[in-house]
Amino acid sequence: MITTKKLIKKYVSYKKQPGIKGAIKSLWDRSFIEKNAVDAFDLEIGKGEIVGLLGPNGAGKTTLMKMFTGIIVPSSGDLEVLGFNPFDRKKEFRKKIALVMGQKSQLWWDIPAMDSLHLIKAYYEIPTADFNERVAEMAKILNVEELLHVHVRKLSLGERMKLELMASLLHQPEVIFLDEPTIGLDLVAQDAIRNFIKSYHEKYNPTVILTSHYMQDVQSLCSRLVLIMNGEKKFDGDILDFEKILGTDKVVSFNFETSPSDKSAFEKYNAKWDLNGLSVELALPQQELRAFSGYVLEHFDVIDFQTEKLPIERVMKQLMLRPELLNHE
Amino acid sequence: MSNFKKWLETIRIGWSMVTAYRLNFFLLIIGPALVFYFIKVSLWSAVYTDKDMLINGYSLPQMLHYHAWALIVVLMAQSSNGVNLGEDIRFGRMSKYLIYPFNFWEFHTASFISFQTIQFVIAIFTLALLCFSDLVSLPSFSNLMIAFAYTSLVGIFWFSVQYTTGLLAFWLEETWTMRVMFQLLVNFLSGSIIPISFFPAWAQNYLQYTPFPSLTYTPINLFMGQMQGLHQGLITITISIVAMFFINTYIWRRGLRLFTAAGM
Repeated sequence: MITTKKLIKKYVSYKKQPGIKGAIKSLWDRSFIEKNAVDAFDLEIGKGEIVGLLGPNGAGKTTLMKMFTGIIVPSSGDLEVLGFNPFDRKKEFRKKIALVMGQKSQLWWDIPAMDSLHLIKAYYEIPTADFNERVAEMAKILNVEELLHVHVRKLSLGERMKLELMASLLHQPEVIFLDEPTIGLDLVAQDAIRNFIKSYHEKYNPTVILTSHYMQDVQSLCSRLVLIMNGEKKFDGDILDFEKILGTDKVVSFNFETSPSDKSAFEKYNAKWDLNGLSVELALPQQELRAFSGYVLEHFDVIDFQTEKLPIERVMKQLMLRPELLNHE
Repeated sequence: MSNFKKWLETIRIGWSMVTAYRLNFFLLIIGPALVFYFIKVSLWSAVYTDKDMLINGYSLPQMLHYHAWALIVVLMAQSSNGVNLGEDIRFGRMSKYLIYPFNFWEFHTASFISFQTIQFVIAIFTLALLCFSDLVSLPSFSNLMIAFAYTSLVGIFWFSVQYTTGLLAFWLEETWTMRVMFQLLVNFLSGSIIPISFFPAWAQNYLQYTPFPSLTYTPINLFMGQMQGLHQGLITITISIVAMFFINTYIWRRGLRLFTAAGM
């Protein structure tokens, strides 16, 4: 489905000193900076996979997406999507892909969403019966039936995003690129988008490439993660393996009614107490999780306890702060 | 056939988009042409101190007649001047046209046609008002049709110019000033402000080798029932449009390699 070999994208920009002096000087004296936004990137993605493309801001995720969709041309290397070179921008290729950009609207602002959908129907040559059926189905699932005839500029971000998704999926693409589809949305809207993508994937089995800074998106949708940092691939594998990059310890928190008088039992598990001593976070080895949790529940005033919900978030945070950890993997 | 449907649908949506903001549409498109017309009427009315006065063979009614037709030509031919596709490139909005199986040039050309049809209706309505007010008198039907067809060709020329200058946004931060400067220069040299017969002989001599007179002076003359300049105008404008097409294709191919889809 998607194959890259030694894929490179170079950006050239020029350095400018601040102030008027710098602006005038830059008219004739410019020094250029060349940066590999994507560097020697190898990737293989198969049909029906949902792959999360993770990395900090400026890591090269969106640049990769732009190359995959044919929006920008790679500087060197090989790239093939669905057997096409995306930058040839053949219409047959464009009919098989979809791109959803959380930060950019693809609908036309000055007309109702339904008009945009009709335009998309014509562009993708969708038969009228299929179009009506798909619009009705998706509008019902996303709960946007009443919004189809409202001008896009009058919709909230969440409402617009749902319609953006609808517009992108009307032609039933084989590969879907989702670039931060839940950015800026409230929790309910995020959930609605995620559930929709999940059910759409179950039904039509497209290949999905997702970038997001919300680990909840990644956790609930992706089975495979690709980590990109400074343009280079740093991890490619199962989400469960990603969680184990920093070790197999499970992070568990306990809240107590009263602060335990003897805290020595906790110390060997890298205990992090809150200021009042009423709550502790522990890193428990997987094999000791059950036994030690039982011990704490039995011997201390525990109000509640919980295991970490998003281990990949902790891993991502640690890797972004200390990228050198990856070298010790 | 399916591509034809794509064009039709884009033209239809174009009408909705153009008329979505009525005040904006008036201020951007009709407003400037009308304001420009009224400025010229006031100016020439002040210049002609005597009712029987002639300047370069033009009486005041003839001069106002000339500028009334100039208004029709501007309404019909320069409707695409408000289009700023450079912004699509600069702000990365072009990305969606690279994804949809309908090309960037197709979308903008279909939008131009959509816009042009609305402008044509407005021009006809304005012409009816001008006739009703005795500010213009119509030529023969065949001359009128030739003038309309010729002015539509001038409209395609202007769209090609806007498209080419818009594509320069691949390299330039801002193309607006360049477009306005070019437009002002052309308005002056094409006879939109003063008839070309007012220019010094040497300037008229030079101008006849340029496309400028063909853009306003010739269509006004056609509307006034004078056919001179028609053949030269047709050849000049057709060659310019064809040349612009090749230039656009070249610029697009080169520019697209520089496109970074900023803001995405």
